[in-house]
Amino acid sequence: MRNSFHEFRHLRHIRPTTRSPIGSVRKRLHGFQLNWYMWLMVFGLISIVGCTEPLPDYTLRFGLANSPTNLDPRYATDATSARINRLLYSRLVDFGEGTVPVPALATWRELSPIHYRFTLQEPTPLFHNGARLSANDVKATYASILNPATASPHRGILQIITRIDTPTENTVDFFLKQPDSLFPGYLVIGILPANLIAKGHPFHTHPIGSGPFQFLERADDTRLMIERRADGQRVEFLRIPDPTVRTLKLLANEIHLLQNDLPPELVTYLSARKGITLQQRQGANFAYLGFNQLDPVVGQELVRKAIAHAIDREHIIQFVLRGRARVAQTLFPPEHWVGHASLPGYTYDPEEAQRLLKKAGYDYAHRPTITYKTSTDPFRLRLATIIQYQLDQVGIDVSIQSHDWGTFYGDIKSGRFQMYSLAWVGVKSPDIFRYAFHSDAIPPLGANRGHFADVVSDRLITQAEQTLNKQEQQTLYRTLQARLLDTLPYAPLWFEDHYALASTSITGYQLSADGNYDGLGQVRWMGPPSVPPKHIARLDP
Amino acid sequence: MTRFLVTRILSALLALLGVICLVFLLIHLIPGDPVEVMLGESAQPTDKETLRHALGLDLPLHQQWWIYFKGLLHLDLGTSLFSGRAIVDLLIERIPATLYLSLVSLIVAIGLALPLGLVAAVRQHTPLDYGAMGFALFGMSIPNFWMGPLLILVGALWLGWFPVSGREGWNSVVLPALTLGTAMAAILARMIRSSVLEVLGEDFMRTARAKGLSPTRAVLHHALPNALLPILTLLGLQLGGLLGGAVITETVFAWPGLGLLMIEAIQQRDYPVVQAAVLCISTTYIVVNLLTDLLYAWLDPRIQFTTGDG
Repeated sequence: MRNSFHEFRHLRHIRPTTRSPIGSVRKRLHGFQLNWYMWLMVFGLISIVGCTEPLPDYTLRFGLANSPTNLDPRYATDATSARINRLLYSRLVDFGEGTVPVPALATWRELSPIHYRFTLQEPTPLFHNGARLSANDVKATYASILNPATASPHRGILQIITRIDTPTENTVDFFLKQPDSLFPGYLVIGILPANLIAKGHPFHTHPIGSGPFQFLERADDTRLMIERRADGQRVEFLRIPDPTVRTLKLLANEIHLLQNDLPPELVTYLSARKGITLQQRQGANFAYLGFNQLDPVVGQELVRKAIAHAIDREHIIQFVLRGRARVAQTLFPPEHWVGHASLPGYTYDPEEAQRLLKKAGYDYAHRPTITYKTSTDPFRLRLATIIQYQLDQVGIDVSIQSHDWGTFYGDIKSGRFQMYSLAWVGVKSPDIFRYAFHSDAIPPLGANRGHFADVVSDRLITQAEQTLNKQEQQTLYRTLQARLLDTLPYAPLWFEDHYALASTSITGYQLSADGNYDGLGQVRWMGPPSVPPKHIARLDP
Repeated sequence: MTRFLVTRILSALLALLGVICLVFLLIHLIPGDPVEVMLGESAQPTDKETLRHALGLDLPLHQQWWIYFKGLLHLDLGTSLFSGRAIVDLLIERIPATLYLSLVSLIVAIGLALPLGLVAAVRQHTPLDYGAMGFALFGMSIPNFWMGPLLILVGALWLGWFPVSGREGWNSVVLPALTLGTAMAAILARMIRSSVLEVLGEDFMRTARAKGLSPTRAVLHHALPNALLPILTLLGLQLGGLLGGAVITETVFAWPGLGLLMIEAIQQRDYPVVQAAVLCISTTYIVVNLLTDLLYAWLDPRIQFTTGDG
């Protein structure tokens, strides 16, 4: 290049052979011309690289719709981060059958209504840096969350803790402001090493926990590599935002596993393909229609009940969700310890819906008009269109407004809506009732976004929280759910199922009830490890 | 030349300052509260106030701007609200991928557009011309979100030559680069055709042919270099767009570039990352346009006088 440039400078003094108006252009560009043999060398090099035989690949690849945003459990709030952090960190308490809190790292005793003692189970696990987990680490983790300077989003619910003591190396005492029998269920945050918390270790980028997997690398935000401590099996999480591309990647055997976040038709398509297996399990993510109680139209109970009767949930589940959901009557599914299996619910009854609307003062000449807010997700938009049609059939005009997720969620949180659809994801503890329905929990103090205010519900919530008798508490929460179904701050829609689609080259993955990735602890290859497709020139070990 | 250079650089710096101000105001104009994003809905008002104070969000606007500006001078773009990582690190991670994809796409685009545009111009009103321009129309009409999956289906699923998505090896750039490159090539080919056609009618071309140059030599050595100037402007603009992150293509191909980072940040309302990405993209546009102007002036020295005289 340099020689050519000097040559050009030399040529400046030579008169051009043709007097073009921009005579210098040709000459200046001439300096950048490559010789043909250089091109041949480039193509030759590419060919050599292309012919490299891919090495056997032991890494199991898991396709995700969203990357985990934060690998520090003190800050993580999104579902993907929470699921991956479960693999990297151990926690004091977990949820078992019936979503009842069960011991994980520790068992507990209620020494008094405001004093819980947690005893770490022997042998306590080792952190990934080799140190053994102790009561001091538990104390440091929760103290760090409770420190306002940490700005942890989990501090809110844990502010009930007034003091944490460690009487022995394996014992942690939590003292509370007031009695709360649900308290053990709040201690589900991964435990971090105390000495690294003190040093300000960047757990969000280099997590060190005591979970069954350890962090290996994160080349960028779209890839995360972890390793199973028991046998060194590597798992790589790949972010593939587009559902169609995620599907194609599974078909091409570039990923071996994906879970949820696919349109139902793609699930059906993949499950029918050779070499792919489908696992399905009932889920507990509660989809609902929310109403603004301050609105003159949907603020009327009769209108809300008419809407509940006008939506044909059975058919939507059968034909749109392809059977991968079940009708919901309340926020918790029947198998939850506070679940209410015998609630009658709202059946599809257009005549009843019309009768209720008439009672509310509406008829075909005078139809109520509702704005329905949803996100821009094509599937959610499709559901909104179906609901719009079904409500139109009983005499309710619905206009759909779809916004990007941030704007949509911002509007909902600020109460700028008449009706919206959303889902509660990963809810396990009945303290959600106060957060979502108590009249004291209107934003910014909680998530009672529709300004629902019902004295009876408020009383039931408080009574259920205060009682220390589990049976009584269960009864109170069931009564509360019946009340909520009657007053309809939400019109319940359905609980969507969880599903996992896996390549037949792997086995042992068990889908969990809450959609977590704990099944990766048991997954293994069928026979020898897979060889990546030849077109991937991968250089992994 | 110096005056031209100084004028251009000063105007670019002025534009950059405007962008910095707008980007700073972005966080205050759009609905939503970064503190609420960080702490979640369940946070206590006192905690929100504490964090707002800690982040300096309770300071007067001009003071916040000055802190932000000083941070920029030290390449401190803040930290992500969600991942807690330094934004500079995020950008450093993503920019090379975008740069790589942009350059390969540009090579694809030029490689396709140059022969197509030339053939169409030299063989005007022949089936070759119609074919080339038909391709250009086809390329411009097909959106990237359709072209991408189509190429994946053929190149990755049917032929098995390339990975479906991601940045997983040297050949993973082929499909996204083709997706971007064909769309760009379509516009470029039309531009090259019209530009070459214009030059072919000039007097110096008649002179070139009259002195006995072969048609090929006359076109390649005289018509094309003189036709390249307007194309250079278009290329500059398109490269600026590519370097700013080809949002749709990066999303379809899960390409870990700047476009994907920005989309993720917008979806999560990660305001500082959105700010930084917008600033980065705007700066890229300004720099690429500045370089195009300078290159233009270097190739055609008359430009600086024309521009300088207004």
